[in-house]
Formats: sequence, C-alpha cells, structure tokens
Amino acid sequence: MSSLPKYRQQTRGEIQVWLCAAGLACGLLMIGGLLLLILANGATVFWPKPITECTVRAQDGTESKISGEVVKTQLRRTAEGGTKTEIQLFTGNKDAYGLGFRFIDRESITSETQPEDLILAERMEYGDAIFRPVQLKRKDGSTLPATDPRFHQTLQDLVREGNHLRDRILSLEKGRIGKINARIKATELRIKELQTDGKPQAATEISRLRNRITAEQKKFDGLIQESRQLRAQLDDAELVCRLSSGEERTVKTGNIVFFFEPNRLSLGQKIWVFLRRVTEFATSEPREANTEGGIFPAIFGTFVMTILLALLVTPFGVIAAIYLREYASQGLLVRVVRICVNNLAGVPSIVFGVFGLGFFVYGMGSFIDGGAKVPLPPVWWLAAAIGFIVCLTVSLLLAVQSPTPGGESARPRGFASRLKPLVATLAVALGVVTLFQCPYFHGFFSSSLPTPTFGTGGILWASLTLALMTLPVVIVATEEALAAVPRGVREAALACGASKWQTIQRVVLPSALPGVMTGVILAMARGAGEVAPLMITGVVKLAPSLPLDLDAPYIHAERKFMHLGFHIYDLGFQSPDSEAAKPMVFATTLLLILLVVVLNLAAISLRTHLRRKYQASAF
Amino acid sequence: MTSIIAFGGVCIVVAVFGIFAFIFSEVVPLFGKARVEKTATVQFPVTADGLTGLDEWSQLPFHYDGQRTLRFQPVQPSINQPSQVTLPLPDAVTVTSRRFDPEHNRLILGLSDGQVAIYQVKYASSADATGSTVVKGSVSSERLLPLPPGQPLQSVDYKDAGDRKLVAVVQGQGASAKLLVASLRQSRSLLGAGQVKIGESIDLTAKLEGQHPEHVLIPGTADSVIVETDRHEIFYLFLKNSAWELRQRFRPFPGESSPLAGIDLLLGDVSLVTWSDAGDLRIFSLFVPPGETTRLFGQTKSFPALPGGILHYLPSQRNKSFAVANDQLLRICHATTEGVRASIKLSFRPVDLAMDAKSEHLALLDNSGVLHLYQVDDPHPEAGFRAFFSRIWYEGSSKPKHEWQSTSGTDDFEPKLSLTPLIIGSLKGTLYALLFAVPIALLAAVFVAQFMHPDVKKVVKPVMEIMASLPSVVLGFLAALWLAPLIETRVPSVIAIVILIPLISALIGFGWSLLPVRHRNLLPKGSEYGVLIPIVILIAWGGWHLGPILERVFFVTDAPDGSKIADFRLWWPQFTGTPYDQRNCLVVGFMMGFAVIPIIFTISEDSLSNVPPSIISASEALGASRWQVVRTVVLPVASAGIFSALMIGFGRAVGETMIVVMATGNTAIMDTNGRLIFGEFGLGHGQFPLADHWDIFNGMRTLSANIAVELPEAAVHSTHYRTLFLGAMVLFLMTFSLNTAAELLRQRLREKFRIG
Repeated sequence: MSSLPKYRQQTRGEIQVWLCAAGLACGLLMIGGLLLLILANGATVFWPKPITECTVRAQDGTESKISGEVVKTQLRRTAEGGTKTEIQLFTGNKDAYGLGFRFIDRESITSETQPEDLILAERMEYGDAIFRPVQLKRKDGSTLPATDPRFHQTLQDLVREGNHLRDRILSLEKGRIGKINARIKATELRIKELQTDGKPQAATEISRLRNRITAEQKKFDGLIQESRQLRAQLDDAELVCRLSSGEERTVKTGNIVFFFEPNRLSLGQKIWVFLRRVTEFATSEPREANTEGGIFPAIFGTFVMTILLALLVTPFGVIAAIYLREYASQGLLVRVVRICVNNLAGVPSIVFGVFGLGFFVYGMGSFIDGGAKVPLPPVWWLAAAIGFIVCLTVSLLLAVQSPTPGGESARPRGFASRLKPLVATLAVALGVVTLFQCPYFHGFFSSSLPTPTFGTGGILWASLTLALMTLPVVIVATEEALAAVPRGVREAALACGASKWQTIQRVVLPSALPGVMTGVILAMARGAGEVAPLMITGVVKLAPSLPLDLDAPYIHAERKFMHLGFHIYDLGFQSPDSEAAKPMVFATTLLLILLVVVLNLAAISLRTHLRRKYQASAF
Repeated sequence: MTSIIAFGGVCIVVAVFGIFAFIFSEVVPLFGKARVEKTATVQFPVTADGLTGLDEWSQLPFHYDGQRTLRFQPVQPSINQPSQVTLPLPDAVTVTSRRFDPEHNRLILGLSDGQVAIYQVKYASSADATGSTVVKGSVSSERLLPLPPGQPLQSVDYKDAGDRKLVAVVQGQGASAKLLVASLRQSRSLLGAGQVKIGESIDLTAKLEGQHPEHVLIPGTADSVIVETDRHEIFYLFLKNSAWELRQRFRPFPGESSPLAGIDLLLGDVSLVTWSDAGDLRIFSLFVPPGETTRLFGQTKSFPALPGGILHYLPSQRNKSFAVANDQLLRICHATTEGVRASIKLSFRPVDLAMDAKSEHLALLDNSGVLHLYQVDDPHPEAGFRAFFSRIWYEGSSKPKHEWQSTSGTDDFEPKLSLTPLIIGSLKGTLYALLFAVPIALLAAVFVAQFMHPDVKKVVKPVMEIMASLPSVVLGFLAALWLAPLIETRVPSVIAIVILIPLISALIGFGWSLLPVRHRNLLPKGSEYGVLIPIVILIAWGGWHLGPILERVFFVTDAPDGSKIADFRLWWPQFTGTPYDQRNCLVVGFMMGFAVIPIIFTISEDSLSNVPPSIISASEALGASRWQVVRTVVLPVASAGIFSALMIGFGRAVGETMIVVMATGNTAIMDTNGRLIFGEFGLGHGQFPLADHWDIFNGMRTLSANIAVELPEAAVHSTHYRTLFLGAMVLFLMTFSLNTAAELLRQRLREKFRIG
C-alpha cells in the first residue's frame, strides 16, 4: 500500500487499547455484578413478598390449589428436547408437604390469584406456614371462628404471649438452670481432685460437697418443673387452619413466632414487617439446623474474634515493626527478614490453620490442660532453665551496651552486635523448652481430663492463629508509617535532649498512629473474612454459649464459637435443605461483605488522610 | 526500654519463623525408619519346633511345644503367674501339622488320624491394686473336626467368615497327597446360633492337574483356597455357586534356579506373599486384570533378597507390615511401600516369630527355648517419599497409581497417601483460574496505568483492591450454589461469551480507528471502557441466548434410541471420553479469578505506573502512538513487576481453600454413571479417580481443600495427621519461595531504575 491514510499511522494499536478497555470493563462489571447480586438477593430476603395461589391442573385433569411465594421463573429442558417455563414456589408448610419448595410448569397453571386472607406464619418448628385461618381453639374448649372481628387481635395477643413465655423459658434455662449446672459441675470436679489427692481430711470435705450437690440438684429439679409448666402453657391454644390444598391442620399458637397477611399489607406495614424480620435475624438465635431464626451468635462470635485478633496482633506487630525499622541495623539480615515477613502475607491461610492446630491447640492447649506430655528429666530441665537465664541476661546486656543512636543510620558494631540476634534466639528457644517441658507443672485443668479444656479448638486459639496470619499486614503497614515520619521531626526531638525511646514514644509513634491503625483495620478485615483456618481451630456450626457472657470469669477463651463466614459454608453445604437455607445464606453473605467492605473503606480513608497529612507537613 | 523493644522484636521475628520450624518438626518423623530394641527374654523349655504367641499387652507370651502342652510364661514374674495347659487331644494321635492364625489367636492342628483340632488362646486383663495390668491366659477348645479318617495331615487351614466356615487340609505326603476341603454349616434358629455341623469333604486333588499339594491356605472370606504344589506352582481354587473351580495357576518364581520356598497371606487376605529358596520375596495381589472379569493374582511387589533365604514369616495384625527371618537376620518390611523398615542381625537361631495385635512387640523364640522380646517402634510405616510421590501398586487396583484415600471403614484398609494428585489438583485449579484472570487483570492494569485519567484512577483502584478482600467463603458459596447450576446447562453460552467479548471489542477498536479524527475526538481518550461497559453487558446477554442455538448446531449427540440430542453435557463425555461434572474447573476458575484478578491487577498496575515518566515522554515525543509507547517502552520496563504479579497471583490461587472446597464438589455428588466422585464430605473418604488428567469439566481436590476437610478428623500425630502437615509444608514452600522470588525480582527492578 503506497498511500496509507494519515490517520491510520497515528493510531496504530487502537485495537489493543480497546482490548485493554474491554479487560477493565469486564473486571469492573464482574465486581459490580457480584456486589449487586449479593445486595439484590441479600436485601430482599426479608421483604414481604406477595403470595400467589395457583390452580394447577394435573395430567389426569384433576385440579388442585397450592399457594406460595414465587421464587423464580426458569426454563427447563424436557426429555423431548424442547424447553418449558416453570416457576419455583416457596410453599412453606414443610410438615404438610414434606418439602418447602415446589416446581410447577407454567402451562399447567390454570389460574393465579393473590387472595388477601392468606396468612404467612413464622413458626418455631417446620419453618413458615401459609394458610387460611379457620378458628381458634382453647384448651377449655371455647372456640373463636376466623370470621369473628376479634379474631385477629386475639391471635396477635396469643402469639405475643407465646413469645413472652418462650423468652421466660429461655432465660430460666440459660440463666438459673445453667448456673446451677455450672456449680454442680465445679463441685464434682473438686470432689474428683480431692479423691486423687487422697488426704486424710478429704473424706469429710467430700461428704460436705456431696451434700451440696444434692441440695443443688433439688433446686435444679424445682426449676425444671417450673420450666415444664411454662412449656405446658405454650400449648394452651391451637389455631385450626386450612391450607390451599384444602387440608385442615392445627398449629399451636405457642409455636408461632410472628404472622402477617402478605397480600393485605400497605407499604408502611411492609416496611414494618421487613424491619421486624431484620431485627429478628440480627438478634435472635438460630433454629432448625441454622436454616431459620437469627444469626446473633455468629455475629457476636465474629465480633469477639476480630476484636481479640486486633488486641493480639497490634502489640506484636508494632513492636516487631519498630524493631525492624528503628532498632535493627539495616544490614543484609534485616533485609532478608523483611522480605520473609512480607512474603508470609502470601502464605495460604490454611497453612496458618495447620500450624494453629498443631502448635496452639495440641501443643499449648494440652500443655495448659495437663502439663508437659514428655517432660525433661529434672537435671536437664534445670540446665535448660539456667541456660535460659544466662542467655537472657547476656542478650539484655548486649542490648544495653550497644545503644544505636540515630535510628536508621545505625551501623553494625562488630562481633557483639552480630551476636545479639543469635543469643536472643537461643534465649527464646531455651525459654520455650524450660516452660513447655517443665516436669513440675501438671496443668490447670488436669482434673477434668481426658475431656480437654484448652486442648481443643477455641476462640483464643482461632484468634491467635489469625493474629499470626495477619501479623505481616500490621508489620508492613507500621513500617511504612514509621518510614513516612519526616526525619526533621525526629531530629528536632533528639535535639531537645529526648532519648531514642522517648522520641519514638512521644513523637514518632503518635504521628505514625493512623498508619498503624490502617494496618490493624486491614488485618481485621482479612481476619474477619477468613474461614479455612477457623475450620480447624475452633469454629462450630452451633455453639451452646457465647465466648463472652455474664458468668464468671466473663471471658471464656476456651469456648468454641460461631462465625459468619463458617455459617455461610455450613448453611450452604451441610444443611439438610440447602434450598431453604439459601435466603439466609445470602443475608449472612451480605452482612459479612458489608463488614469487610466497611473495614476496608475505613482503612483506605485513613490511608488517604495520612498521605494528605504528610504531604502537607513536608515543608 | 530500648533493649526490651529489641528483645521483643527479635522474639517476634523468631516466632514467625518458628511456624516453618514447627511444621517441619511435625513432618520429619514420617521419613524415619522403625526402631527395634530388645527389651526382655523369657525362658521356656527346649523343644525342637516350638510355636509362640503374644498377648495384646506383651506381658504373657505362650509357648506350644508342638504336641499337647501349652505354657504361659510371664515377662515380669512379679505381676503375672505362669501357667500350663494340656490340650485335650484324642488319645493315640500325634500332631502332624499346625497353623497359628494370629488374627483370632487360633491354633489349628492337623492330626495323624486325619482330623483337625482347633483351639483358641484367650487372654483377659485386669488391673491389680498397684495399677499394673494383670494378664491371664487360657485355652478354649473350639472344635474337633472329624474329617474322614486317613493319612496324617501335612498342611491345614481353617477360616471362619461368619456364615461361611471352611477347613482345608492336605492329607498324606508326596505322590499320595490329597487336597480335601469341607464347609461347616451352622444351623440358626430364633434362639441364636445353633450347632455347627461339618459338611461333606470334597477331594480337590483332581483340580491340581496332576500336581501334588504341599501346602494350603484359606483367605479370610473362606470362599477359596490357595495351594502350593510340589512343582512350585500355586493353584487358586474358588468356590462359586457351591462348585469348586480352578481360577488360576501360576509360578511365582519362573525358572529352576530358585524354586518356591513358601507362601502366606498379608493382613486383609487379598495379597499372597511368596518367597523363594534364595530369599527373594514377591507379593501377588488379587485384582481384575484388563480384559478379565474375575479377580486374579498378579505380581505387584518384589523385595530385595534376604541373604540366606527366608525361614520364618509373620504378618502384622495392624497394617501391611510383615517380618521375615532366617538364622542370621530379622527384617521388618512394609508391603505397600516396598520398604525395608528395619534389619537386625541375630545372634541365635529363631524357630518361631510372634507379634502382638498392636504390632508394638516382636517375639523370637530360639532353639534353646529362650523367647527374645523386642519392642518395635514404627509409627509411620506407610509413609516415605515413595508413598507420597511415586506410583504405587495398591491392593485391588490393576496398575500402579497415584492415589489419595486416607481413611476407610475397615481395619485392614491400605491407606493411600500420594500427594501427587493433590498437587496436580492444586495446579489444575490454579491453571484455570490464571487462564481466566491473567488476561483481564493485565489488560485492565495496562489501561488503568497508562490510558486512564488520573482522577478516575483514584476511584477505580481502591474498588479493585476491595475486591481483593472479598471473603473467599462468599465466592465459594456463589460458585457452588449460584454459578454452578446456572452455567451447568449453558456451557455453549459461556464459550460464546468468552469468544465474543474480545472479538467484538477488537472489531470496535478497528472500526474506531477507521473513523475520522474529528469524530474520534468526541470521546475523551481514556474513557473507552465507559463505552464498552454497556456493550459488554449486551454481548453477555446476546451470548447467553446464542448458546442454545450453538448447542443445537455443534454439540449434538446420539441418544440411545437413535435420535439426536443437543446437550453439551452429553456431548462432552461422548466427544472427549471424560466425564462432565456440575461443579467443575470452569466454575472454580471463574470464581477463583475473582480472588486472583485484584492481586495481579494491583501489583502489575503499580509496576506499570512506576515506569519513569521521562522515558514515556521521550517515546511520545518521537511520535509513538499510545499503544506503541506501552508495547515498546512501558511493558518491557515493567515486565519484571508484571512477572512478579503473576507469581504472587499464582501463590494466592494455589493456596485458596474455601472456593475449592465449596465449588469443586467435595460434597457427595454422583456423576452420570452413579459413581461417587468424591466421598461423603467431612468423613475423609476422598478418592481421586479423575486426578490423572487435566480436564476442565471435572472436579478435583487440592492440597488446601484436602487439609481443611480432613485435618479435623485426623488423629493427633498419626500418619494421616503428619501427611496433612506435609501437604501444608509443600504449600508453604511453594508459595513462600514463589513470593520470595517475586520480591527479589521487584527489588532488583527498583534498583535498576534508581540507577538508570
């Protein structure tokens, strides 16, 4: 081609530019689509949807009615190779139909209505029910037909009363009965301890404790009786109702948590129902193998774990960063250490989980429970202890002897300063041996063995594992923040006669604080969303009690806990009815993503704030 | 203060590296050999051919003198009492052959009048006042089987498989030897098990095709007999529909130089151990060879010769280990790994070996009546480099395989611990994730770094970074419960979209470059992506609906009834021969892409942005178009950074756990043939029939997912537990070394441009 048009030459590679743009467009669409998908599915879970009553004609010509919420419409391949439209209906009434969902061919539906008298009731058992009320039956034999004008109010009152009763039973069982249980258990442990001691005066003590147990047992039986009576009250009234299929069933009003008429709701009422359901989701305990009810324990567990993680990771991360940036001589060794610390951030979380299980749970945990498994012979232990003290003293002496003025510009000072890390490492190693192989320590919980107390997964071990995993994030962020503190500020402080530690403590750290916080928040965000290491270090699908409560000692670091991320996994994959659990999973997912995104946004805004601040103070 | 900070800092840094040290220390014992130590001796009366056995606690060994006396002699006389039992054999008979079944402690004696007597040695333990275990031994007479009277029995065996009980004997010697088998029947009534009656004995000598039986064995299923003949051949006879048939005859050691010296069974009774006069040992296992329909014996293992030949053989009752010995040497071997676990020189001539039920103690009876007790400490016999990384011919399989199946319901199960399928699974998932993520991430990074307006960039970059912190459990859940069912029937649509997006974008770019400049200037440079977002949505929508049409044209299979079916799910297995799973690599790759894209994007965007503006300006001044600048200047300069971004992305994908656990079908899913692809979730029954190929429409299990699923169930410090730690170490090393390499590369790059 002899005469290429001029504009062609100028824009060579335009195709590639557009391809790049397509890559970006895809990336942005993927994120947007994903977030939108979760938002759309998660936020609408609690919004009351209308209930459709369909008349379905079966192949033999008989017609039947069924009602439910339309979940989705989809195409289905038929055996002949064609496609058919079918709708998925959430029918509820699992006790009557066996399944909560049903697929119906669009063709077979002869009519669809949205009758206003249908009621959707959330029950304690068997999930939601969709029905028409017939009458209320009391235990004394009196009935109230649904046509009565007082019917709705009476039902409302009965349901409220039932909720109240259930609250009372719960507080009785968890509160007073739980306390008596704990006391009996503690007394039994004490008896066991006394028995193994075998002291002569133990016998009287044991019989005294036995008497105490008997007394407690009497109280316990009384309370159980009380809760049984309350439970009996729950069964006082029954609601007779008719399903769309024509079947008549009875529901105990004490079994109903909440009910409304979805097709009769005004916008205001819809909002009210929505808010009520959201509140229930966020504050109540799960029911029905986690597929119903709320996720409060999971929210609380995630919260406590994340806070614990932040408390653990911050001091360690900051101290390590200060050491690396301000104290260590910036030689090859520190460079290598820094690269390694950076790269620990890229090590898969499951590896940390494996370490946590092996070291924290089976190592430290069983040590706390029952002392060293293979203790050192006393002589060796004594030698190790002396070695530890010597190494500790030497390394402290070395550290004191070679103060390194001028922070970053410090140079290695010959043999002694090279020896420092070696001696310190030796001190740590000997310290670990001295502590963990002590032949004189037999554990804090040896009386309850072989049932492990700390020697099994728990919130402390999970938090420690995640703290270790997120340590590099904090170290790197803190180091960056420390490096960003202008040199002039330090020099000014030193010139005023401040010691090195005073400079760091009063001047450097405060101005690096936003950076440190960024790191901690990022660590929390990463920790909050991580599930794999938790699966092996202490998360469970249903924890009987919270890790923080009002029973002494208030913080129960050894308890297993529930977690939002694991809840998602458990609901979606291990629940008996994953289709019924799907709305709950989406809602939980939305919550978890909100948590993580909010934490991330906080970190990002802190970071920009920090940058702006130092840009301003450059001169 | 200074010193405290310094000390604390060093401690923390050391602790961080302690992770690797700890995992390593958990893994090391896997590669250790067995430790065998002599602990005690017990004196028994001198007999020419004694037989010995051990109790579960190795406290009270017994000694049988070969005729009528059985003695229990304690290891610690202060705790246990010696005792002696006389076996109630009929008068005027002698014991001519015997077999000890260590699984049930059953002593089977062949008598000179052709009958078989069966005794059981029983042990009971109790704790005495001081807390030490007191063991009491006794012998119960199980039954006396009245076989037709005849010549003395030369070899005898008996097995009780519940409903089926079988006894087999070789009567007489040399040319007159006869092989007899008899079934035992137990009548059952409502009141429980009734009387055991012996059925008619069947003479199977004719089945041996003219050879003479010497030695007979019955596997635990009691439905077959294995016979060694005088011409060093093995005959495998099987009871099918109450008729005996010859399944197989073979010669374990072909050639005359080294004839067959003995045969015995391994724990589980599906492997036959054979050894020759020269001490060579070969193991034959039952499996269905290609082209056959029944299970036959085939050689699966061979062991180095024990110099001096093998005189004694003893299988372990806990795993696939066995001990062999002659007058100078004792050797403990493990069948699965073909490894010699321990080798000990003996200073005496053993006449019998015994092992306790836990395989923790070994007892050797010498010809002077002294029982030498050894403690065997071999916690991980099934481990080792061979087990983890090479092909192993497992029992029941028709060829050597890499396989992972760590646990099972039965006691005689052979753990399959090959890490290879897991590593391949990890790499496979990573490969597909990168295939999908790398183009998008790199193209987006180039666009954001070089073409986009800086103000927009300030928004776009944090958005991509937030995507990096999306919890992987969320991605996994979406992959499995939303994406997998969605695209299960729409693979052609996905193919269409994947092809159409770059194609149409390139076409638009081409068309755009043909437009006159004044029209092009209407769109500000750097906002092309804004135009493309609605177009990409449109393409996705169009491609989604184009899919079924494509399917009808290209992916048509023949249904069994001859009609044509347009269904990709059926077409794929027919076309490629590999199965199609709902939760496949396509799903994993796509979802893992969400996790990998932001990482690759962020790091490569950083390195692209850090290219010195001076050289960009210089090339622009020379008249290069904006793509030419990128291609010739920016990309080469940033290449090291991009490479390190790829490596870090690789590291993230390799270690990703939750997405894989949830999206690859770790849950029980049946494929079209109804075959279980992966075992029950959480029970550790994973099997890997698909691990040998890289097919995109299959599931897989990765190292990380395997750890997450199986570690909670692994017993502390068991082989399984330590092997999972080894998996973690492999992952750690893989990611750590990759990341370090990437970091070093980036630092070098940084220094290079500081100098330049």
